[in-house]
Amino acid sequence: MTMNILFYILAAVMIVATLLAITEKHPVHAIVYLVTSFFAMAGIFYLLCAPLVAMFEVIIYAGAVMVLFMFVIMMLDLGHPEEAQRPAFITWLVPLILTSLVLSSVVSAAVFRTFPGGSNVEITARAFATVLFGRYGVAIEIISMQLLFAVVGALYLGRKGGGK
Amino acid sequence: MNLNELWTLLPLLILACGALVVLLLGAVEPGRHTTWTGVVCCCGAALWAVQTPPLVSVSFGMSDTPLVRSFILFFCLLAAAVLIVSLEYNEQRGIHGEEYPATILFVTFGMVAMAGATNLLVLFLGLETMTFGFYILVAIDLKRGTASEAGLKYLLLGAVSTGFLAFGLALLYFTSGTLESAALLKQCSGEPLAVLGWGFVLIGIAFKLSLVPAHFWTPDIYQGAPAPVVAFLSGGSKCATILFAVTLLSTIGNYSALRTPLLALALLSMILGNLAALLQKSIRRMLAYSSIAQMGYVALALLAGGAGGFKAALFYAFTYALMSLTAFGAIAVFERSGITDQLEDYRGGGCKEPFAAAVLALSMFALAGIPPTAGFTGKFMIFAAALRSGETAAAVIGILTAAASAYYYLRVVVNLYMLKPEKAGRIEISLAEKLVLSTAAILLVIFGLFPMLLDL
Repeated sequence: MTMNILFYILAAVMIVATLLAITEKHPVHAIVYLVTSFFAMAGIFYLLCAPLVAMFEVIIYAGAVMVLFMFVIMMLDLGHPEEAQRPAFITWLVPLILTSLVLSSVVSAAVFRTFPGGSNVEITARAFATVLFGRYGVAIEIISMQLLFAVVGALYLGRKGGGK
Repeated sequence: MNLNELWTLLPLLILACGALVVLLLGAVEPGRHTTWTGVVCCCGAALWAVQTPPLVSVSFGMSDTPLVRSFILFFCLLAAAVLIVSLEYNEQRGIHGEEYPATILFVTFGMVAMAGATNLLVLFLGLETMTFGFYILVAIDLKRGTASEAGLKYLLLGAVSTGFLAFGLALLYFTSGTLESAALLKQCSGEPLAVLGWGFVLIGIAFKLSLVPAHFWTPDIYQGAPAPVVAFLSGGSKCATILFAVTLLSTIGNYSALRTPLLALALLSMILGNLAALLQKSIRRMLAYSSIAQMGYVALALLAGGAGGFKAALFYAFTYALMSLTAFGAIAVFERSGITDQLEDYRGGGCKEPFAAAVLALSMFALAGIPPTAGFTGKFMIFAAALRSGETAAAVIGILTAAASAYYYLRVVVNLYMLKPEKAGRIEISLAEKLVLSTAAILLVIFGLFPMLLDL
């Protein structure tokens, strides 16, 4: 029961944060909303008995990818950090609500530690790896090739004027 | 993993390792031999696909049925042909670097993975790998603004279509709880969420096949990208997408909910594609609109489904790929003499370059559906299947638009042979190029006369 309520809270947070990320004009604010959405998604993964995926969600998406986005924005100088002022309380309000909701849900999920949906079995790293590299081994290889060619393509197309 | 499973995966491994070897070779010693290495890898993978024993390896999500094998063989040989055709073209356009052959191998890798996939994840990844490679290939001519523009348009629209496809597959997964395509698709045909998922998948497929109203990227990409890349995109990518659609649709059996959208896509593409092609002055844009129309016929075949429609769609996928290869191969040869893609520039091409003109004319006949080419046989199979499944009105409209399309295809032939050239110019065609183009042209006629050779 608690878990169902938590799910709906997190899902609502996710939808609100994603909508804000799309509509927000300031790129840095948009990214922070996106991070909030990812955190909420990580909470949902945790509720679905997949703590490992939840961890990946936080480390890879909310962590690495978003930091990368932030770097790109800073490098392209879209954020204008020097013009930043201390924001008014009203602009604090939405992020505060979203953050407190996510935090309280995650904490309560960690405290109660019962999983919904029949199975109470937590999926361990070992089980996860067996499926990932066993049944979906080919998929992993295909993705690794894709990543390689993302680099190759970016390097090639990034050359100036087609010179060697 | 046992040895048999390794054998099944070997064409994939050959292509993947080939792409890496080409990249490394280019770093150590750049030059034309990187392309030849690519050709050898493609042929090796093709040969292996022919000779391995059939096997369904459930544990890896790859199967190896005769149908899959013929498609693997076809994709590999098509890639080899495209590499050979692009040798001189790239030299003349100043597209250097090992990235080009490596990316072609990478695209073929995606196609082969998709052809053999038995689970939706690998199917989706294969399709996206292919599209991903094309994002690079379309924009590979860095010296031309039009190529970069085409690449950007393809990337943006392709990303949207990928989103639709992924969302649709996710909904299908949600309703059935499994990713194995056969089991998944049998279970979910009636549920509303599954129908929604199918709708999204259909939108994704429509984007990739450039069916109206998801066709807006086609003319610009056909015009901006290098000619051999367009041959590969138009032939290989659409062939693979048709295989993807047939794989999905043939397993669910009853898809009455998809009938109306498929019918609308087919009718709009046939009518709009053919009408727009009538007005084009550039041969590349004309072929782009013609490809929209041709894919409309394929959508009609998909609609006919069980009544021989899937077979007709697959046959047409093969023949359309051959037609694209011959058409854009010949255009690549012509463009080497420095002409633009305007139709007037092809005046008197028959005197200037008899070989390429003959190939181009034959592919125009095939696209127009004139016997004894495979274009006629393919269209015949599609319309026969449509009539058999009771889509009489759609079939009649298809036949009428196909008849109207003869005008703009034959206009190219008229320009080639019946008008005097404005300026003379010689084009050198290498032996390998001649071999590839003439083989493709001969195959077009052979498959037209003996369609049973392609027993799908």
